Amino acid sequence: MIWIAILGSAVATYLTRSLPFAVTFGGRLPPAATRYLEALPVAIIAALVGPAVVAPAGTLTHGAEPLAAGLVIATVAWRRSLLAGVIVGVVAVALLRLI
Amino acid sequence: MGTVLLVGTTFGVVARQSGLQPLEIVALSLLVFAGASQFAMVQLFSQAAPAPIVIVSVLFINLRHLLMATSLRPHLGRLPLAQRLFAAFFLTDESFAMATGHFRRGGRSLAYYFTFAIALFVLWNLATVIGIVVGGAIGDPRRFGVDFAITATFIGIVVLAIRHRADVVIAVVAALVAGALALAGASTIAVITAGAVAPLIAVFVRR
Repeated sequence: MIWIAILGSAVATYLTRSLPFAVTFGGRLPPAATRYLEALPVAIIAALVGPAVVAPAGTLTHGAEPLAAGLVIATVAWRRSLLAGVIVGVVAVALLRLI
Repeated sequence: MGTVLLVGTTFGVVARQSGLQPLEIVALSLLVFAGASQFAMVQLFSQAAPAPIVIVSVLFINLRHLLMATSLRPHLGRLPLAQRLFAAFFLTDESFAMATGHFRRGGRSLAYYFTFAIALFVLWNLATVIGIVVGGAIGDPRRFGVDFAITATFIGIVVLAIRHRADVVIAVVAALVAGALALAGASTIAVITAGAVAPLIAVFVRR
């Protein structure tokens, strides 16, 4: 099951990389389609965050995850560093879960 | 380059902690070779998402490659097809940014693209292996909050990717819709539904 997902994802990813190199498209994409495609990655990654913060174990959070998420946003916005955000998030959630 | 090492190591640690086997993690970095997608896959695997959901989610995350490859296509036009298909495998956000800068400065050499892009691939896979070793050495992930590392990584990626006010709205809507769907028991389709619907906001908002 996992291997089907890995191989399928590898093929899907390679297709997105190689199609424009292999085929020449006539014309240009409409601006609305370009805006949709450009917004997709941020939306999907944000969508992955939602369930992990709101329902970390399948049930409503006790508050540790949303608080830690807020600290991560503040840290990354301030320091512009992914690593700093991850460290703050992990430490915060570990401490908040003790309460 | 340093960022690739750090993020790659983080990926190895997080993937190992989530319970994936070392061989599966190595295969992800070797075959998929796309940071955000690989983190997303680890998350989806830990929720026992079915393979089609995983593949479609990855496809959506990577649709942006179509835009990047289309914009690089004129510069690679003089290469034979086989070499273009080889070059395509190494196309990432980083190699695209590097290549775009190189061509805009008037550069013509494709060796530059190949050297940088393949170096990124080697570093990414080295870092993954380092992460697997480190991740295997850490004990119970939940006790130290390590399970939150992947969520924190996603939040960081989103914050750093925000360019316009509309991006903030799209990210918040996507997260809330996905969270609500997961709470309602629709966790398998939560991410792909919210992720595909929220960008529609960008279609109606002019920048």
